[in-house]
Amino acid sequence: MPTVVYVDGDNETRSSTVGALESAGFEVRASESVEAVETTIDDSVGCVVVTATLSDGTGFDVVELVRDQYPDCPCVFFTSKAPADLPRGGREQVVEYVPRTDSSAHDRLVDVVMAAATEATQPAYPVPKDEPERVAALEAYDVDELAALETFERLTALMTAHFDIDVAFVGLVDAHEERFVACEGANWRTLSREDSICTHTILTDEVMIVENVREDPRFAGVDRLDELDIKSYAGARITDDEGNPLGAVCCVHGESRSYTRAERDDLRRFADEVQEQLSLRRRLGSGGA
Amino acid sequence: MRHGTRYEFPDLPLKSVGAGTNLLLTGPTLEGARELLLRLLLGEDGVVIITADTSARKVLGEFEDVGGRIDRERVRVVSCAQERDDDLGDFVTSVGSPGDLTGIGIEYSSQYEAVYARGYDTVRTGIYTLTPLLVYSEDVRPVFRFVNTVTSRIRTADGLGVCAIDPSAHDERVINSIAQPFDARVDVREVDGTIQLRVRGLSDQPSEWTTVPALR
Repeated sequence: MPTVVYVDGDNETRSSTVGALESAGFEVRASESVEAVETTIDDSVGCVVVTATLSDGTGFDVVELVRDQYPDCPCVFFTSKAPADLPRGGREQVVEYVPRTDSSAHDRLVDVVMAAATEATQPAYPVPKDEPERVAALEAYDVDELAALETFERLTALMTAHFDIDVAFVGLVDAHEERFVACEGANWRTLSREDSICTHTILTDEVMIVENVREDPRFAGVDRLDELDIKSYAGARITDDEGNPLGAVCCVHGESRSYTRAERDDLRRFADEVQEQLSLRRRLGSGGA
Repeated sequence: MRHGTRYEFPDLPLKSVGAGTNLLLTGPTLEGARELLLRLLLGEDGVVIITADTSARKVLGEFEDVGGRIDRERVRVVSCAQERDDDLGDFVTSVGSPGDLTGIGIEYSSQYEAVYARGYDTVRTGIYTLTPLLVYSEDVRPVFRFVNTVTSRIRTADGLGVCAIDPSAHDERVINSIAQPFDARVDVREVDGTIQLRVRGLSDQPSEWTTVPALR
């Protein structure tokens, strides 16, 4: 069962709610304040439950703090305050809300937290239909070992020359971020899924082209892409033998760029090569399974 | 929660759907989409409507026009339209703007819980429409978060979700991404005054354009 962080400054309600969550099988870490959350949260936390007001801030301050570090972490308000009486939060924070009204409130909280902690309930990006199976399939590979392979480095170096682009990479999209197992032309290690174009590429078996990132409404608001000087993008999905999308093989350029049919076909062939290498490593049992 | 629950659609050319189903209704604003969305909410289940571009008063009037019964214990509205509907009572709540996704989400959860607490463990949710929410957001990612949050609640609470969007108002790539958490797309159009629908994503539903019988 996932770990839940519960933040409430009132000793009595904190104790009873922690008890209810623990009875449902969750491991619970209790915090009393916004400041205390900083030392409580880590990547094992599957959900944060917070009351409306705290001694050093509001529940929305907790949400901001959590999402800065773990943007996918679901946040649930559990409070006796009606929506109209809540402190003002950011218009785009988006949280779940369970009213702490009567004795049945803990049951409803457990239901909502159970769903939030076990499914991808609040990500700021589209999620593939079979996400748990997909993530499990990816976990069968040793990503650190793949990142050490020279094969993918050679391939991405070849791609930058072939397409005359700034950056080529092989990225694997895990539950919360994209990990670059090979990257020619830049020193990228990871990118959160809500900032990653490959988050969208893994949804389609067609080669995905973004000729101008700033003119594509899906990515125009993503400042991180601008910081990385990603102005155009082409990506081809890679899957395992069962068809689970694992990531993408991609071209990135610092200027707007289109791709001809022949170039798209070539990118697909590069991706097929990576896919075959991954498949081979799995069959040889050296994929880390 | 009742297991095995299915949601029926009397007088519509659609078979029942399983509990936890989310449908994305795509069609131009003025061509039957709102009428069809409201007809999909008919039944004895709880109902929560999020209205983004029309006042709660008008939506409730139209819900009655398609045969809906306004029972304040069972039917709830979250309005983020410009018109204030505060005088209607606490079964209607207002959020200042379609851009306040946090406020809409919290008010929706609150109304859902209010209906649930009154014994309605099957709830139909209608969102009309997502278009203003997207238009008011400079960044599409918070809208993804909102749609994922609402559809997850519906899925895990064995509810039914029907969410409308005007495809002509958005980039097709955005529509395709927004459609991801939905189980099926119901396309709607109006031909010579007749509403037609087709369904993509559920194999037992009509995949070709099918006439929706007019209201009796």
